[in-house]
Amino acid sequence: MPYGRRALLSFAALLALSLGGSAALAPAGAADSTVTISQGVDPVTMDPLKRTITPTTNVHYNIFDTLVRQDREGKLLPWVATSWKRVAPTVWEFKLRHDVKFWNGDPLTSADVKFSVEKIKDPTEGSEQGPRVATVDRIETPDSYTVRYITAKPTAMIAGYPWQVFIVDSKYWKEHGDDVGHSSGYQAEHPMGSGPYIFKSWRKDEQLVTEANANYWHGRPSVDSVIWKPIPEAAARVAALRTGETDLITNVPAQYQLQLAGGRNTRLTSARSIRVLFFAFNTLRPGPQQNKLVRQALNYAIDVPAIIQTVLGGRAYAVNTPLPPNFVGYDPKIPFYHHDLAKAKALLAQAGYPDGKGIDMLINAPIGRYNKDKEIAEAIAGQLSQTGGHFTTKIQEWTTYVNFTSSRGLTPVYELAWGNNSYDADNTLTSLFTSDARLSTYANPALDKLIVDARYETDPKKRQAVYDKSLEIIHDEAPWLFMFQYEDLYATTKRLAWEARGDEDIFCDEMKLK
Amino acid sequence: MTAFLVRRAIGAVWVVVGVAVAVFLILHLTGDPAAVMMPPEATTQQIAEFRHNQGFDRPLWVQFGSFAWAALHGDFGNSLRHGEPALGLALERVPASVELAFSALALSVVVAVPIGVLAAVRRNSLLDLAARIFALIGQSAPVYWMGIMLILLFGVQLGWFPVSGIGGIKHLVLPTVTLGLFTMAQLMRLTRASMLDVLKADFLRTARAKGVQPLRLLWHHALRNAWLPIVTVIATELVTLFSQAIITETIYAWPGIARLAVQAIVDRDYPIVEVVVILAALAFVAINLLTDVFYAALDPRIRYE
Repeated sequence: MPYGRRALLSFAALLALSLGGSAALAPAGAADSTVTISQGVDPVTMDPLKRTITPTTNVHYNIFDTLVRQDREGKLLPWVATSWKRVAPTVWEFKLRHDVKFWNGDPLTSADVKFSVEKIKDPTEGSEQGPRVATVDRIETPDSYTVRYITAKPTAMIAGYPWQVFIVDSKYWKEHGDDVGHSSGYQAEHPMGSGPYIFKSWRKDEQLVTEANANYWHGRPSVDSVIWKPIPEAAARVAALRTGETDLITNVPAQYQLQLAGGRNTRLTSARSIRVLFFAFNTLRPGPQQNKLVRQALNYAIDVPAIIQTVLGGRAYAVNTPLPPNFVGYDPKIPFYHHDLAKAKALLAQAGYPDGKGIDMLINAPIGRYNKDKEIAEAIAGQLSQTGGHFTTKIQEWTTYVNFTSSRGLTPVYELAWGNNSYDADNTLTSLFTSDARLSTYANPALDKLIVDARYETDPKKRQAVYDKSLEIIHDEAPWLFMFQYEDLYATTKRLAWEARGDEDIFCDEMKLK
Repeated sequence: MTAFLVRRAIGAVWVVVGVAVAVFLILHLTGDPAAVMMPPEATTQQIAEFRHNQGFDRPLWVQFGSFAWAALHGDFGNSLRHGEPALGLALERVPASVELAFSALALSVVVAVPIGVLAAVRRNSLLDLAARIFALIGQSAPVYWMGIMLILLFGVQLGWFPVSGIGGIKHLVLPTVTLGLFTMAQLMRLTRASMLDVLKADFLRTARAKGVQPLRLLWHHALRNAWLPIVTVIATELVTLFSQAIITETIYAWPGIARLAVQAIVDRDYPIVEVVVILAALAFVAINLLTDVFYAALDPRIRYE
């Protein structure tokens, strides 16, 4: 029948049309000195004083400056501040460089630092960064290049997280209707920074383009142009890296590590994360988890190295306390709860639960929040069941789960991970182990006192001694199933020289192209 | 016809109002965004302050009242996540979504209708068998899986198409095929079935007996009468395309409104979710209305009085 053939022909022509001319496809970001970075999500705002989420602050780190920077071990390096010291028990003084300029030529001065911190503290701003500058009571600016943070009490740690607070151009902000007390919303899409990369354009969820700042005080960065192009799906992120459409991808799932490490065009880079995963016992709610012996027994019943090996492809490090070894306050003398099922059963019997009889525990966990969160919870439930007790998992979406964590409503066991980029014990212990902390489900007045003492102890040796004591209590009381510190995986194209950092930050001025 | 349109437009307003009320209640009854939005080390007091500043501590009916009043003036509030007006954020993603949805629909129609017709005409031929197998795969393969497979084959192995993002025609190909496949399969089966019905009809036999040219017989007499169910499905498929776009836009990092919606739900960004749902309701109402009008144009026997 003639019409059949003609229709077939036109269909074939259509197919050919849609496929034609696509053979010679150049990778995106074609210019040689352009680097494309693909995180899972797009930044949400260019106002650097509002949010705390990593994919957003990663862009801010490259277009704004901070008073200091952290090196890979968390040590503070001079940046806009050339030096800092405690000049009185409650006064931290920063001396600023004189040659830092915003892109519009405005000099960066102490007034800009003061404005930035005050804007964060301004209640009408609704900034999530409030907790970072909570210890800074007020700010003095004796001259244009000296800033003083005044705290209510002497603090051991430097005040105000100066490696995380971005400095904005106060003159530019005021010109556009943004001052302490009111906001115009203009900054959300029109940043004016002093950083190594100049913001050029941004189409949301598509790409954000930045160009090297030729006049940067620390020298012009090596890579001419950096494009931030988000790709939400991990498999698609990996595919885009393999085709060279992007040069750097974050949050690489462990199952891709062999493929990417052995790739023609790709390489892996990883770092010990500042994030520690744990299962907490809710000791504030009734149940066998209120018995210390039960908590210790369950710590002996789990085999953390086996979970790291099988679930995370070896990409994690077991911890003996809530602190990873590269943190201030870490105590290497504290032993690990090694896997010992016999001991676990003996402790359970001693606690009144022979062969695990009478133990029926729900293990709560989120899904899609942490690397392999659900799988880890399921593995833990399996291992704990070896004691003879009954363990089941309850997995929930993060948005639902997080509401329960706030109300201490998850019981008797729940999974969380804690990222602390101060590399200091205070944030972790205060947030997770003091009686009145929102996320703490453990209460011990003796421990509360030690943690507060350490916070205000300015002699490092004495402070470490207080932490040693605190960690001994935590280890013995076992309010957690102690798990591991993650290792973060990134992958890059082979032409890009850049190494991963444990704090999840990406500094593009550290990048070089081969 | 005018009276009909006016009636339908009034009905449409009620649908949108109903949707707005429902989405507001569902969002606000399932908890507020404070815990998701605030950093983990925030204290209970800081969270309470955030809640107060955002007005989440007011009675629900007060919150709804101020939402409805502002929405009537085109103000859906600022996105909690972005700190910018939610309506603008949503509207700027519409073109990308429309581009993808319509190209997927166009591809489906252009491929599915001719093949469906041919499969009906040459029933039980090799072509018919191939078309049916293709339809089976197209309808049963999950969009998610199909998307990844297309990326691996045409992006990574063959290097024909870019694997993510928006750009020229080349960027459009893989997402269009992924999104269009399900609809294509659906339409192909329907066209085939509809044509099979019509081909058996008396008037076709009469036409054939009159000596009408085969091609004219098929396109003019048969397909014209088989169109009605096909058009209905094309319209409803547009709705399906929007929901499937949630997955397609995520896999291909397509900057559309569905991806914005997913992220907003994850963050409990109320204003964005409300705007997107209301915009979707408006779109669906408009599509349905257009379909009804289109019926009348297609089939002279249909008249709205």
